[in-house]
Amino acid sequence: MTMAPERTPFIRSDGKEKVTGAGRYTADLNLTGQLHAKFRYADHPHARILSIDTAAARALPGVFAVLTWEDVPDVLYGGSVNDRRLFAKEKVRWEGDIVAAVAARTADLAAEAAGLIDVRYEVLPPLTDFAANAEADAQLVHEAWADYEADENLGLSGNILGHSSIVKGDADAAMAGADVVVKSRYVADASQGAPIEPRAIVADWQGDKVTVWSSTQVPFAARSGIAHTLNIPESQVRIIVPLLGGGFGSKCDFHFEAHVAALARATRRPVKLVFSRREEFLAPDHRREGMIIELETGASRDGRLVARRGRLILDKGAYCGEGGFFAQMAAMHACGPYQIDAVNVDSYLNYSNQQPSGSIRAPTAPQACWALEQHMDELAAALEMDPAELRRRTLIGEGDEGPAGQVFEEIGAKQTLEAALDMIGYGRELPEDEAIGVACGWWPSFGVPSGAYVKLNRDGTGTIVTGAMESGTGAVMGLPLLAAEALGMKAEDFSILYQDTDAGPWDMGSSGSQTTFNNGRAVVEAATEVREKLLDLAADDLEVSRDDLVLADGTLSVKGSPDSSVTIATLAGSGEPILGKGSGDVPEAPAVDASGCVGRLGLESFLAPQLITQAARVKLDRDTGVIRVLEVAAAHDSGVIVNRIGADGQVYGGVLMGIGQALSEATWFDDEGRQLNPGLLDYKLQTASDAPEINIRWVEIDTPNAGPNGGKGVGEPPSVPTPGAIGNAIAKLVGRPIDRLPMTPERVWEAIHGGPEE
Amino acid sequence: MTGYIRANTVEEAVAALAAGARPIAGGTDLVVGARQGKQSLPDALVGIHRIPGLGAITETDAGIDLGTLVSHAAIVSHPAIRERYTALADASVLVGSHATRAQGTLGGNVMHASPAMDTGAPLLCLGGTATFATPSGDRTTDLVDLWTGPGETTAGPDELLVAVHLPASAQATGSAYVRLQYRRHMEIAVVGAAAAVILDGGAVTRAAIAITALAPVIRRVESAEQALTGTSGGAPAVEAAAQAAADAARPIDDVRASATYRRAMAAVVTRRAVQAAIARARGEEIPIPATESTQGSWR
Amino acid sequence: MTHPITLRVNGVPYPLGVDAHATLLNVIRDQVALTGSKEGCDDSECGACMMLIDGQPVNSCSYLAVQADDTEVTTVEGLAPDDKLAPLQEAFLVEGAVQCGFCTPGMLISATCLLRDNPHPATDEVRIALSGNLCRCTGYDGIVRAVLDVAASRSADPRSIARPAVSRHER
Repeated sequence: MTMAPERTPFIRSDGKEKVTGAGRYTADLNLTGQLHAKFRYADHPHARILSIDTAAARALPGVFAVLTWEDVPDVLYGGSVNDRRLFAKEKVRWEGDIVAAVAARTADLAAEAAGLIDVRYEVLPPLTDFAANAEADAQLVHEAWADYEADENLGLSGNILGHSSIVKGDADAAMAGADVVVKSRYVADASQGAPIEPRAIVADWQGDKVTVWSSTQVPFAARSGIAHTLNIPESQVRIIVPLLGGGFGSKCDFHFEAHVAALARATRRPVKLVFSRREEFLAPDHRREGMIIELETGASRDGRLVARRGRLILDKGAYCGEGGFFAQMAAMHACGPYQIDAVNVDSYLNYSNQQPSGSIRAPTAPQACWALEQHMDELAAALEMDPAELRRRTLIGEGDEGPAGQVFEEIGAKQTLEAALDMIGYGRELPEDEAIGVACGWWPSFGVPSGAYVKLNRDGTGTIVTGAMESGTGAVMGLPLLAAEALGMKAEDFSILYQDTDAGPWDMGSSGSQTTFNNGRAVVEAATEVREKLLDLAADDLEVSRDDLVLADGTLSVKGSPDSSVTIATLAGSGEPILGKGSGDVPEAPAVDASGCVGRLGLESFLAPQLITQAARVKLDRDTGVIRVLEVAAAHDSGVIVNRIGADGQVYGGVLMGIGQALSEATWFDDEGRQLNPGLLDYKLQTASDAPEINIRWVEIDTPNAGPNGGKGVGEPPSVPTPGAIGNAIAKLVGRPIDRLPMTPERVWEAIHGGPEE
Repeated sequence: MTGYIRANTVEEAVAALAAGARPIAGGTDLVVGARQGKQSLPDALVGIHRIPGLGAITETDAGIDLGTLVSHAAIVSHPAIRERYTALADASVLVGSHATRAQGTLGGNVMHASPAMDTGAPLLCLGGTATFATPSGDRTTDLVDLWTGPGETTAGPDELLVAVHLPASAQATGSAYVRLQYRRHMEIAVVGAAAAVILDGGAVTRAAIAITALAPVIRRVESAEQALTGTSGGAPAVEAAAQAAADAARPIDDVRASATYRRAMAAVVTRRAVQAAIARARGEEIPIPATESTQGSWR
Repeated sequence: MTHPITLRVNGVPYPLGVDAHATLLNVIRDQVALTGSKEGCDDSECGACMMLIDGQPVNSCSYLAVQADDTEVTTVEGLAPDDKLAPLQEAFLVEGAVQCGFCTPGMLISATCLLRDNPHPATDEVRIALSGNLCRCTGYDGIVRAVLDVAASRSADPRSIARPAVSRHER
């Protein structure tokens, strides 16, 4: 194990355009002749559509097209379940369901026309109680669920979209034999990715081919989605992502690109859609899922975790999207990075008439971890053991067995615990209104195919052509560091051609913290191929054996006779094409015998897991319940770090997002399933004045079976344990855990001043 | 009229108002409200932000005059306000971001008549009066008589607020404004309270207490004032005043807080505002904003 | 009905015809065609649209363009007029204060204004001054460091916006 060196100066190559205002985001683009799009959303969260009359909207001067389900192919789409149409047909299932789309000369005119569409409904009772929706006699969100094309491992059945269990040994028997048993129940509210850039799309047809500029994190998914729903070949769809103003998962998945492309086709004009902030809250089928978490743990007196039982219920909202894996992911996080003898955790993903949930930064993990880590502190109290000591005794290490039996290679869980405790000064004297809480978490690496080309230019610089996506994290910006290392060049010698589906190879996109992990390997392989060609060319040129050559500082020279050399620029300038391509071998998660588990989707073992411990010092205003986070210590095992400044940036941002989720961020719904706070005044992101001192330590382990140079991922993990660490600090001050997330001042105050005890 | 005209004098502005226009200065309430869909922008607008003289803060023997265009930033940085009308500085420093404080005006805040306006309770406690220019000459009214409901005032559509006057403060006056806030900045008042007290020989001879966002209008709470007046300002009297304020509240239930919590917080912020006002009257240093400096374990 | 106005944007006069209800942000983005200033919320909560009017910060999404007639407007594009980055812009790059970059234009305007009015701010003063500029990526850490770096390295950027001799309301 080594500690990462101090930050080395690294200026991201898209930095200058961003600080000067010259950089173009999707909403900054305008095409000659362009029209503007607006949607007509569902007027009720749950209703049967009786009729749609668009005549008045079409008659408005300046309106060029009004589209409904009748105007596009009758195609169902989705991730693990194809359960949605571009335009609602028989029913609307949440307030953001799209009934119609309008293209008009101005956005105001399009909005006016959308309002003129006459939609008649039979209003149905809103099915907002996602737990009750699983009951046998519940009304159905999707009456035709049995006809849907779905991943059969999900176990789709009525309102239960997915059911997964993680099972190891006989948890019931082990629980019965435990010295101490603790039970807890926690409820987490929904929240949002809330990127500062509301999404925008521009679509333009040239002949049979459509080019779509979209603020998406996943351009290749957007391409497939358009092709599938409009029934055209993928080769006729090109997605270009201009600069992306953040995503945090909310811009993963295919969303609105096909609606805009269809409008552009119908009007034979470029069409532009720009969301207002209100729409950015209400319309995406993507937000962090609400969750009910019931946990029971049995332990021996000395702190051995002998049994874990759990039951989780997640709110999927109206449609599946890409979030079909949530039940299993949540179940793994209800186990956590701990050695547990016997496990039985059941997890359900239920439909409701609320906004669909989708991957937001480490989907399911912050809520499940918040519940588990407070539960662990409750267990520590029952054992009369210090919470840090309980974790010290139970965190996984090399050779330990995971929840479903996976055997871990070298892993830094325990080191992150010690590092975080050290950084925050655990155990020191604090004022009576302050406390320190500790939480541990984990997150898998995702091994998926990815590709890149590296080519050398005639002036001796290089260009990386990649399908990877830069959402702001710096992951793509850091790729030149890897290519430069392989080629003895400088990172600033490389330009990057990216975010264009016609240029780079297929890529999963900016999701799953996997860009460096997978595309990094591809870039290294492509650069290595270039290196081989350079060695061949230089060996010819210098008339020596390849083995006698050294490649450094842009020059190939003969070992021992540095005067005998040729520069990369000379070789590249000769006109000989010097190209490399790479995809790298995709690592696979360790095999496990998970025959006892149901709903197996591949997450019953975690590939190259990233381990995190965070400690938070908070201050409580006892009269009001207001919490201020004063300090967070974040210790991470993300393997070997490629770009320290970029990795640190993910931790600073992820921790603050975690603080928001802990204290101030929630999407609240009324009884009908409508959002109550779709704006930035009442959906409260943390401000600069709320942000605490954040200290970071990297536990660098050269991880086998991982990304380039032994690296893992870093984008999502920083948000995972933050709410749990804050929760444990609050519980120390209040005397009991806050069982609702976010832990708002009112909820903290209720816990202090005699709110209802469980 | 429709569209926009820019007034260069008060007379031009009043004439435009009489013709049906609405006044606009910083736009921080009017335009933001329209963007949030609360109400659309008026068809006819008269820009008053360039009228000379309306942005002045003037001290006289009778007190201090704040022109209608005085910005929150100007209030926060004015030495006399910080020293003698401290509650107003406590309030203005919490308004929005520095951009909102640079553009947002006192007059706009007063005439927007939001029950959550931060400057309202301090102005009431400090005895503020409002002067309007009208087609028939100037008219002055107590602020307490101005607000009648959310967004509603007794001012006529052709009356332009030109200044707010605060009377000279006695020796040993202290005032403070405290609000509940979830984040440190960029909040709207969910619950707030202001207090102004005059001490004489260690006794509270006059107390003014007003509550924010706890009723359709910002209002003084006489029962709270009576609980404090004539006492030494000790803990029992302060607590009684705080409880009286909570009892007088008519809180709502919404996404920002339950009525139960709001009522409980009414007592907390009132107690803190009164304590800070008394401490300031005694010459103790309670940094602006009192909302921060009275937080947590502060007593 | 359009109203004739003249905006001086980053020193360049633009005679324009604008709708009475058009916001300064939309006019700058659509008519002046400078798109550096962003729309993040449209109701003064995020600060991505922040500009200076006669040296004073404004959330331009919530300010009518007609009201800005005959003023000096400074946008992010005006911070580096001669293609040499201002010290704050340099510091933002070096300190990792830029990730997605969508908040960056407003953040730079906000920080420029802060350092002009308070050349040597304490850390908490920086944090408070930037509270109206929401950033979802960076946790503000690099941003605050960048502002403090610039404050430490100079008294004021010589090319920074001059403080107006009198406030707008006074003239």
